[in-house]
Amino acid sequence: MSILFSGRAVGATATQPNILQKLLRGIFTHLRQAITSLGELWRSPLWTLITVAVLGVSMTLPTTLHLLVKNIQQVSRSYDQSFEISLFLQNETTSTEIATLVTLLQGDPQVDKVRLIDKAAAMTEFKQQSGFGEALAFLDQNPLPDVLLVTPKVNQPAAAEALMQKLQKERHVELAKLDISWLERLAALMNLLQQAVYTIAILLLSAALLVIGNTIRLSIMDKKAEIEVMKLVGATDAFIQRPFLYTGIWLGVFGGFLAFVVVEVMLWWLRSAIATVTQLYQSDFVLNSLSMQEFGWLMLIAVSLGLIGSYIAVRSHIKAIEP
Amino acid sequence: MLRFEQVSKGYSGGFVALDRVSFELAKGEMAFLTGHSGAGKSTLLKLISLIERPSAGRVFINGVDLTGIKPRQIPYVRRDVGMIFQDHRLLMNHSVFDNVALPLVIEGFTGRDMAKRVHAALDQVGLLDKARCLPATLSGGEAQRVGIARAVVNKPPLLLADEPTGNLDPDLSKDIMRVFEAFNQAGVSVLVASHDLGLIARMRYRTMTLKGGKMINDGLLHQEDSE
Repeated sequence: MSILFSGRAVGATATQPNILQKLLRGIFTHLRQAITSLGELWRSPLWTLITVAVLGVSMTLPTTLHLLVKNIQQVSRSYDQSFEISLFLQNETTSTEIATLVTLLQGDPQVDKVRLIDKAAAMTEFKQQSGFGEALAFLDQNPLPDVLLVTPKVNQPAAAEALMQKLQKERHVELAKLDISWLERLAALMNLLQQAVYTIAILLLSAALLVIGNTIRLSIMDKKAEIEVMKLVGATDAFIQRPFLYTGIWLGVFGGFLAFVVVEVMLWWLRSAIATVTQLYQSDFVLNSLSMQEFGWLMLIAVSLGLIGSYIAVRSHIKAIEP
Repeated sequence: MLRFEQVSKGYSGGFVALDRVSFELAKGEMAFLTGHSGAGKSTLLKLISLIERPSAGRVFINGVDLTGIKPRQIPYVRRDVGMIFQDHRLLMNHSVFDNVALPLVIEGFTGRDMAKRVHAALDQVGLLDKARCLPATLSGGEAQRVGIARAVVNKPPLLLADEPTGNLDPDLSKDIMRVFEAFNQAGVSVLVASHDLGLIARMRYRTMTLKGGKMINDGLLHQEDSE
């Protein structure tokens, strides 16, 4: 509605559109501005390429490091049998009591599985592996206790430790043991690596943010005359800045996609080399690439960067241009 | 329609562009604003389109005090005032159609509705056949008429022109003035700033003369005044 002429139906309100028409018009306007800004990018291909490349490379490094951490975590997870808690049972425990204890433990929500190694089996194994086979034959009584190997459901060292403390108090349990110091060290290292990834990511992405802001600033300066004319014929700041925000979004989309492609190519490159190594080690390690969800995050972060970068530029510069 | 009440505009450094200027332009009236360059014509127009704010005094459009208009309302005020510039200020990399359509796009028009209005405006200035051209291919007079079409496409009740014939030869200038007359006859209030005294005198409309920021004459300008 006009501010000056109360009777004057201004602009599109003159046709008195209903809500649906208004909505459609709004969507249409946005769509048109989005496509126009895509065309604008095409008009200055060099700056677009540079900006997209900066954003893409800035996102590639953190993404690669993230994948590295993820794959190492996957490897370390395959060592989770080291989280086994060994319960050495009292010597006089009968097999019925052991069976009861096993059932009891299996009912515990924190316990994944329970495996019994009885005295005899342990002795046989020990004879085979220790090399004391001959000497052990002289023992008239099996000195080894029955052992329950408990695999906890948790995979944090601290939680496993707590579970061990609890199991220690069970009846018939002589001693509970959990060797986790090296796992704790690994977890600490992984944590350190992860923090480093975050720091590097933040630094690189801030740089990318500045580059995007600068590109948008140049594009605003380039269109100074056009912006003045638009202001003179009654365009609001919101209307004028929208195409620039869309430009930021497009830069984000392309930058994010570039990072994704670079990472995928790198993984494809490494895959055969890793396959050879894992074959030699007879491991079933598979190099994990980005999941759908991670791809989504990558794109979301890239687009947000584009949007925030352009918003910073737009906020300070569009207002400053006055006819 | 338009009223100035003791309006002054000074700039930092002590330069006074307008000094207690008062006048009123009635609804449907056409008037000229004249004076040497630097007399304050452009400043006066800038106060109406809110490019500048007065240092003292008040400007009213249709009885609404522009002092009370907040910065974020300025775009909406400008939609009610059609503005024409000496250098026509067209977007050079957009077609004539797109240039004229700009105020409509800003207001959210789309499709056939918009095209109909753009064609009507271009028809009024006699440039319907140039809709697809780029402004660079137009002559000075044609470009100015595109500027007029852009100013009138959303049918503003008030039309301001700042030296619209400044770059044109006398015949083209007369054509442009005829276009303004035609809009005035359709009920639009028109204020044209111009220093082309001979042309103004022949047109026989109310003429306000500014000198050193003061209004020194308000009324019909006679042929002999311009000599």
